[in-house]
Amino acid sequence: MIDEDKVINIVSQILQLENGEITSVSSSENTENWDSLNHLSILISLDQLLGGRAANIPELATATSIKEIVTLLNKNIDD
Amino acid sequence: MIEANIKISAIEYCLGENKESGLDLQKDNPDWRIEDIEEKTGIKTRWIALKGTTAVDLACNACDKIFEKIDKNKVDTLLFVTQSPDYFLPSSSCIIQNRVSLKTTTKCFDINLGCSGFVYALSMAAAYIKSGFSDNVLIVCADTYSKYIDKNDRTNRPIFSDGASATFLTKSDSKRVGPFEFGTDGSNYDKLIVKEGAAKSGFIKNTNPTLHMDGTAVFMFTMSVVSKSINSFLNNQGVIKEKINMYIFHQASKVVLDNLQRVLKIPDDRMYKNIEDLGNTVSSSIPVALKDADSNSRISHEELVLISGFGVGLSWGTCLLTWNKLL
Repeated sequence: MIDEDKVINIVSQILQLENGEITSVSSSENTENWDSLNHLSILISLDQLLGGRAANIPELATATSIKEIVTLLNKNIDD
Repeated sequence: MIEANIKISAIEYCLGENKESGLDLQKDNPDWRIEDIEEKTGIKTRWIALKGTTAVDLACNACDKIFEKIDKNKVDTLLFVTQSPDYFLPSSSCIIQNRVSLKTTTKCFDINLGCSGFVYALSMAAAYIKSGFSDNVLIVCADTYSKYIDKNDRTNRPIFSDGASATFLTKSDSKRVGPFEFGTDGSNYDKLIVKEGAAKSGFIKNTNPTLHMDGTAVFMFTMSVVSKSINSFLNNQGVIKEKINMYIFHQASKVVLDNLQRVLKIPDDRMYKNIEDLGNTVSSSIPVALKDADSNSRISHEELVLISGFGVGLSWGTCLLTWNKLL
């Protein structure tokens, strides 16, 4: 299982937001700086965290919410 | 797997006439975070063709430059890689043949591919020369993607430059080009596309053909498919990564190059990048990088150079070169 907190931590760091500003219901729809440029950075950080395994999940390109990202990672990565 | 006793003996290139900076982008788009964009793209300067300049014009300029070094009468085959043709028909290569005064016995045809186009054309040149069908092939790549890009398009405008390259291939006493490996994933054809103007839109007049790119999807493609194909190529050829003296990939953007380098574990001194002052010149980016790397002595005689082009299609191709100093 991928820890949701780790994903939230990465997204917070990339978007330069304080702890607590990103939660399990955050998405590009309700978070100001979560644009396509920052989404790329989120994907790269996730890939680094997961040792290159996130790059093999093309659906992450359109997964622009914490819930979608965590679901996709847990569906595709055995940890 | 084609390996041929041919070599790249000369490369020349030219760029769009207008230099475009981050400041120019900012003027048209005050809300863009230019520093953030430049950090991701790695591109600070683009070269944009004048309104009346077409890819064929740039191609002819690149040809004129290379004909200062090689005899144009030796060219028996012209392969023109473009996705910005002057017309739906005839092939732009026919127009170039006439404009630069190549022999009328020259075989000329267009190849409609983008960023993988140079590697595909190289394989065709290798096959033609190896089979005895040709002796000397000129590969010309040219595109003017800027004409498909709106001034407010944040995905594409910061990336693409207009440019053309001319690459001359001839026989060699040793195998210097190949082997190759290619791939295609047409299921993602719409991730990088100009939808308007052609048959699917009914050839409607006065449409404004516009480049659409799903940047994140294309990025994920390069990270997964392209990196795997390069690893597979090296495994299939029994070449260990450390033997490659220089990796010259399609100069897509900094974020793509940096992450391919990370995933493939390529040391800094073996990863060629020249995107900052040139931008992404589509199918010309690899020959332009080869020319610059040769001029700057980043690649030397007999060194192994791995080139890989990838993008619109989606399409990709990889080739190993044993380098020889260019004219």
